[in-house]
Amino acid sequence: MPAKQLTPEIEAWIEQRWSRFPEGAAGKALTLGVLYQAQEAFGHVDTEVIDLVATRLGLTAAHVRGVATFYTMINPREVGRYHLQVCTNIGCMLEGAYKVFEHCKARLGVENKETTADGNVTLSEVECLAACGYGPVAQIAEKGKPEIPLYFEELDLETVDKILDGLEKGEVPTELGR
Amino acid sequence: MGVFDLKIISKHFDDPQARHLDHYETHGGYRMAKRATTMAPGDIHGEVKTSNLRGRGGAGFPTGVKWGFVPKDAETVYLVVNADESEPGTFKDRHILHWNPHLLIEGMIIASRSLRVHNAYIYIRGEMQREYRILQDALDQAYAKGYLGKRIFGSDVDLDVTICRGLGAYICGEETALLSSLEGGRGWPRLKPPFPAVKGLWGQPTIVNNVETIANLPWILEHGGQAFADVGVGRSGGLRLVSVCGHVERPGVYELPLTVTGNDLIDICGGMREGKAVKAVIPGGVSMPVLTADELDVPFEFDALQNDARIREVETAPGVKFDLGGNRTLRTMAGSGGVVVMDETTDITMAAWRILHFFADESCGQCTPCREGTGWLTQVAHRVAFGHGRAGDVELMASIADGIAGNTICALGDAAAWPTLAFITKFRQEFEDKVKNSLAHSPSAPSGTGAQAAGAS
Ligand SMILES: Cc1cc2nc3c(=O)[nH]c(=O)nc-3n(C[C@H](O)[C@H](O)[C@H](O)COP(=O)(O)O)c2cc1C
Ligand code: SF4
Ligand code: FES
Repeated sequence: MPAKQLTPEIEAWIEQRWSRFPEGAAGKALTLGVLYQAQEAFGHVDTEVIDLVATRLGLTAAHVRGVATFYTMINPREVGRYHLQVCTNIGCMLEGAYKVFEHCKARLGVENKETTADGNVTLSEVECLAACGYGPVAQIAEKGKPEIPLYFEELDLETVDKILDGLEKGEVPTELGR
Repeated sequence: MGVFDLKIISKHFDDPQARHLDHYETHGGYRMAKRATTMAPGDIHGEVKTSNLRGRGGAGFPTGVKWGFVPKDAETVYLVVNADESEPGTFKDRHILHWNPHLLIEGMIIASRSLRVHNAYIYIRGEMQREYRILQDALDQAYAKGYLGKRIFGSDVDLDVTICRGLGAYICGEETALLSSLEGGRGWPRLKPPFPAVKGLWGQPTIVNNVETIANLPWILEHGGQAFADVGVGRSGGLRLVSVCGHVERPGVYELPLTVTGNDLIDICGGMREGKAVKAVIPGGVSMPVLTADELDVPFEFDALQNDARIREVETAPGVKFDLGGNRTLRTMAGSGGVVVMDETTDITMAAWRILHFFADESCGQCTPCREGTGWLTQVAHRVAFGHGRAGDVELMASIADGIAGNTICALGDAAAWPTLAFITKFRQEFEDKVKNSLAHSPSAPSGTGAQAAGAS
């Protein structure tokens, strides 16, 4: 397999941002942004991606690894095509978020942060998504489709079933989201 | 009540056109940004001081005073907008970003002029992917028009605004952690002092302000600082965005006068759902001490929530007041404006556990009292809530919380300790009954899961 390379989009992004930071600080300042985009391109952030990012930005691999492991949105392992994130924090909990989350677990046959055997859906329990008045809230991200992250609000089990049916068929029921 | 009709920030919420620059300008947008480029920086600062604008991110610190901490001879000053909104119960900044991104950008131009900033940053929460795109579109439009970049509005002022995205870490909302993250590192808070206004981003003076704080600036410039102060009460100017969630008929984001009390707020939200009685209200995000039903006649305003004698003081043990230091005691605070309303059916021990679970998850781990204490607290709160409490658990929770408070680098430690002590002070009987009950029943039941939480709430 040829060695991984940062995509032209990421290269262009780095180019464009570099001058927004003071001399000598740009490489480090771009760590989070490049890591995230690398994850979008490669699916997850493993040692190879960490080395790639470190080399490109002129940083040590230790620094990049330290950053990658600190933030929860960086996945060290492959996630499913769809990443279903259910908020169970206080606002959503008061609206029955745990029922929603347990239902997702049961239907998908996975525990928190696990992926279905067919690699289709990863389920995560997440903290407050800043939509607390409209709970229970879930967010779905689709790999390779940065426009997809959609919020699904005021979820009941019926809507959850429709969403999961959609994901099984390979489509996000965007009409149910906002 | 004319003041209820006034909207400073939320006038165009829910209008999908409002986020486009043309629409924004049709409604008078960017006139104040343009005016700012022709004003002396000190004059803008003067208006902000007069306005009594206080920070909307949590601490309620007077914005004009904070700006005054920037050393006069500073060569490079940075402005950082805190758009990390992640305090559970709080969802108002996302509304601004979603519906009215240009209002934030215009506010940033005004602030940057006053602070002599040429590079400003917006640190937006990673999870807010849609709002990131909306904001980036708005920035691109503003650049295309010459409102950002070199010689903005044809003046001799240069200003670049850059968005930086977080990657999922609540702690990055704390301003010094945010700066560590913006510089490209782990989101580790730093000891204060030095305060960011003196030594912040890359060691330079840096003003960190919340999205809502900055979004008030165009109005302040248009109507004058005095008008803003007059709309407010006492030492707090303006209106406030309040986000309400929980057991009210109509949860949502409301822009309201600071005189509104907890009871008013519930009425404005259409009352309690299903006619149930209110049991508890968190007034400013889950970091803030809870209020009981009989403490809701106090205005949800910064000073009132801290000082009004109708609110009970938080205790570390029955009769022993919690000491905030400097002879001050703790009632509660207006915090982030995130209001959580809980009705009579709510299991308070369950609510307390879920909140603590959050803080334990989000502790950055730098200080032992916070790292160990939040984990331990969560463990004890869990067993109490799920019916395996042990004798002395309530006292144990209080003493762990007391051991965290005031002994950490950043305020996340306090944010976990204060609500714990408040829950115990005000709902002690409920915690003790839970423990008593579990002692009376089988002591060897399996540990609880989320499913049980669902059943109980
Ligand atoms: C644990 C913790 C989390 C915080 N999260 C946020 C946040 O998400 N958004 C925010 O504006 N301020 C947050 N703050 C407050 C900031 O540290 C800072 O006071 C604020 O951004 C200053 O802006 P202001 O003066 O305009 O309020 C947090 C503070 C702490 C201790
Ligand atoms: S108080 Fe907690 S979150 Fe804040 S620096 Fe210390 S360990 Fe980190
Ligand atoms: S508590 Fe679920 S979105 Fe805030």
